[in-house]
Amino acid sequence: MNAVGFAWRSLVRQPARAALGVLGVAAVGALLFDMLLLSNGLVISMRGLLDSTGFDLRVTATDALPGQGPLVPNAIDRTHDIARLASVRSAVALRFANALVLAGEPRGVYTSLQGVAASGPSHPWTILRGRDIAPDRAEIVVNENTATRARLTPGSRVMLRASCNDGPEALPPVPFDVSGIAQFPFDTPNGTTVAMSLEMLARACGGNESNQADVIMVASQESAGPSVAVADVARLLPELHVMSNAEAVNRFERGGFTYFRQISTVLTAVTLSFAVLLITVLLTVSINQRLGEIAALRALGFSRWRVVADVFCESVLIVGGGGLLSLPAGGLLALALDRILKRIPGIPADVHFFVFEPSALQVHVLLLAGTAVVAALYPIRVVASLPIAATLRDEVVG
Amino acid sequence: MNTTESRTEPRTGTRTENSEGRMVNGRIVEATHISRIFPMPAGPVTAVADVTLEIAPADHIAIRGPSGCGKSTLLHMLGCVEPPTAGTLLFRGDDVTTLSDRKRSLLRLRQIGFVFQRFFLLPMLTAAENIELPQSEAKVPKAERRQRTKELLEYVGLTARADHRPSELSGGEMQRVAIARALANKPGLLLADEPTGELDRATGEQIASLLDRVNADGTALVIVTHDPALAERSTRILSMRDGRIDSEAASI
Amino acid sequence: MGKVWVRCVVALIGAAVITAAAVRAEDTPSVLISRQLSETEHLSVGDVIRLSTSDDGRNVRPFRIAGVYEPTPDPAKLGAVIREVQLHLPDLLALTREPGTPSGSEYVQTINVALVDPNDAAVFSRDVRARMPGIDAQPAAGAAESTGPFIVLRRFHLAIAIVTIVASTVFLLALTIMLVDERRATVGVLRLIGLPTGRIVTQLFLEGVLIAVVGSVFGLALSLLSEGIINRFFQWRYDTALVFVRVTPQVAAICVAIAVPLGVSATVIASWALLRRSGLRLARR
Repeated sequence: MNAVGFAWRSLVRQPARAALGVLGVAAVGALLFDMLLLSNGLVISMRGLLDSTGFDLRVTATDALPGQGPLVPNAIDRTHDIARLASVRSAVALRFANALVLAGEPRGVYTSLQGVAASGPSHPWTILRGRDIAPDRAEIVVNENTATRARLTPGSRVMLRASCNDGPEALPPVPFDVSGIAQFPFDTPNGTTVAMSLEMLARACGGNESNQADVIMVASQESAGPSVAVADVARLLPELHVMSNAEAVNRFERGGFTYFRQISTVLTAVTLSFAVLLITVLLTVSINQRLGEIAALRALGFSRWRVVADVFCESVLIVGGGGLLSLPAGGLLALALDRILKRIPGIPADVHFFVFEPSALQVHVLLLAGTAVVAALYPIRVVASLPIAATLRDEVVG
Repeated sequence: MNTTESRTEPRTGTRTENSEGRMVNGRIVEATHISRIFPMPAGPVTAVADVTLEIAPADHIAIRGPSGCGKSTLLHMLGCVEPPTAGTLLFRGDDVTTLSDRKRSLLRLRQIGFVFQRFFLLPMLTAAENIELPQSEAKVPKAERRQRTKELLEYVGLTARADHRPSELSGGEMQRVAIARALANKPGLLLADEPTGELDRATGEQIASLLDRVNADGTALVIVTHDPALAERSTRILSMRDGRIDSEAASI
Repeated sequence: MGKVWVRCVVALIGAAVITAAAVRAEDTPSVLISRQLSETEHLSVGDVIRLSTSDDGRNVRPFRIAGVYEPTPDPAKLGAVIREVQLHLPDLLALTREPGTPSGSEYVQTINVALVDPNDAAVFSRDVRARMPGIDAQPAAGAAESTGPFIVLRRFHLAIAIVTIVASTVFLLALTIMLVDERRATVGVLRLIGLPTGRIVTQLFLEGVLIAVVGSVFGLALSLLSEGIINRFFQWRYDTALVFVRVTPQVAAICVAIAVPLGVSATVIASWALLRRSGLRLARR
């Protein structure tokens, strides 16, 4: 009987204990797996979302995130200048504001408002029904939530009161035609969004501050790539700040995302310590209860390494069994935790906190393997240094 | 059934080779002035003092003495479980004190069998599996293991209980399985520490008869016992007191 | 109505141009700067800096650093380097006023009010709302708990806590089964000599209570120790005064209320499994 077979028989000899050990490892393993998914999940998800918009550069007036700093002046002209660069496929200027759609609910529907000026036909949204806005027309596209709450369909006419600055305003409502229902990539689950051309937004904002944008979004040519485009735009407009998607994600990571990275690290350490403690205690107590048997085996000629291998295999079996169970358990737990965290206000609907990547699974396996080794160290020391004769004597006396 | 290897030395005086190929006399064990001292916080304790002893093939030796006289310690030294702190101990001509732990384990596995007072059978294995275990560790091929196990179960009269676990056996049956396990790798020497200590008189008698048979079939036997009746069955009776061999008597 | 302090904070990100000048000007207006700004820009008390809200340096005004302060920790800005300047309101308004805006017609986003008696906050808020339509006044206490992200994070932490409690329960059950199992022979002998099962159960129950209570106390002590370690580490890591872990009496009470019954239940379950067997079987090794 080899060490694995012997270890298996030792474990099933005490089925309740072995089962509890496996379940304990499964529970902490599930949490461990989720923390590994969380550590990079938000970054991966955000990066995916940014890339899915089709734009891989963002140009702002300062290094503040889009919407948090001063506006880019002469935005439309600069958008066209950028679009003419060889390394750039297209560019869109975007301005953020808020609006009150005077329709639907008793006092209207508050929405976020976007004004765009594109160098080409593409806009940063996807039309679901109807058609996109036409240039130079007082048309808007709305998202599903806005359409539902304001009871709008393509072709509806609606009055809209914009709010463009932080301070108190009393702008007059402006009529718009709904040309289509669209999906916006950064919409939150319950968010309401309206989009129009930048010129129409300037008009809705009182006619002042036209030709300004919060950000110019740029899509690089495939042949050039984002790094070449970043360099070209920076050379063309040195007074502005250019950021690739990767840099944007790095900034998110250093800022708001860092909490999740840290809690992931702390909980990873806690779960591993817990698992080591659990397995060490289980094995140590189990061994202490069969010291006589082990001493007898040594007296019969079993080598020190053989009894060590038996203990190590017990640790591997418990951790391995628990580890296997931890994967589906961790998956289910991740779904539940993701659902909780996605309720944080302002989180886009398409962003996830727990994202599977193969490297997380590899790290999970490695960490559990390390746990099996570390947890077995003390029990191994006990059996390796067991004084055979003294133990046999003690067993008789005891 | 042969309980030892076919190359069994006769009872007295034939020269044979040790593991290094040197010609040595036919003794299995030669202990010369061996001692065992245990360092204790209150001061060293001499468990065995200056014992000289030889064990020939097919010897049947009983070691008697009051509790604490060093019987079990002497047995453990003879079985290469504990090395002596002084003196020379040769096993088939090889100096045991110079062997590494691994080599001593191999020696115990292949050449020495142990029977304990508390049996120490593995509770999660059946009787047959307990007997197979040392053979498996000695890398005996599976078919040969199975055959040998079957023979040993027959030898100890437990063929019908092969698939029973120790918890399903009586005390006497467990000790018989333990004896079969000790004989699994055909050792030349069997050491038994109070083999009837936990058994009633009738069962103890059965075990004693079995051990006689093992010895008659060619295995040297050393028994530590309090039981005078068991000791009387030996050809040599060693009395120990205070760690020394007080006297040696030949049984009639 | 309490004394009203007006503070304004200008978050200088990007647009402000700050330089340290060697100009001695005791009559320049004073400002306070955040510790982080002092460290990153190597500024100290007495230095004169120039502030502007435009990136081309228009409308630059000099200010003298009167002090360095530790910014109030803001969880929403975790990881960010807080580069802040605090000015007197008239100075800030003068700095940020649009050219055509008459003095006195500017606006602020928020007015923070410190009351003589904080318990008056709710009454004060209602009074302000009644007297000044269009102005919203809210007590600050409880604001954090009602903020969306913290409600969500609390639920997240609760979910994690539930998982760790499940794992702990499994661990506890495994341990108590082993502990009780070690006493198997003793329990078997007690039953064989005639002790009633109820007496043995009571004994084991009391032992379980003792172990659970002592374990809970030890656990609390460990949590207080780790609270200090975790806070110190993360305060160093993020250069902040935020408190990350706080073991309040309420938290401690909840932990003990969960741990003690769990420990006792685990002992009772393990004992029940043991006492189901006959005394003879238990006593036999």
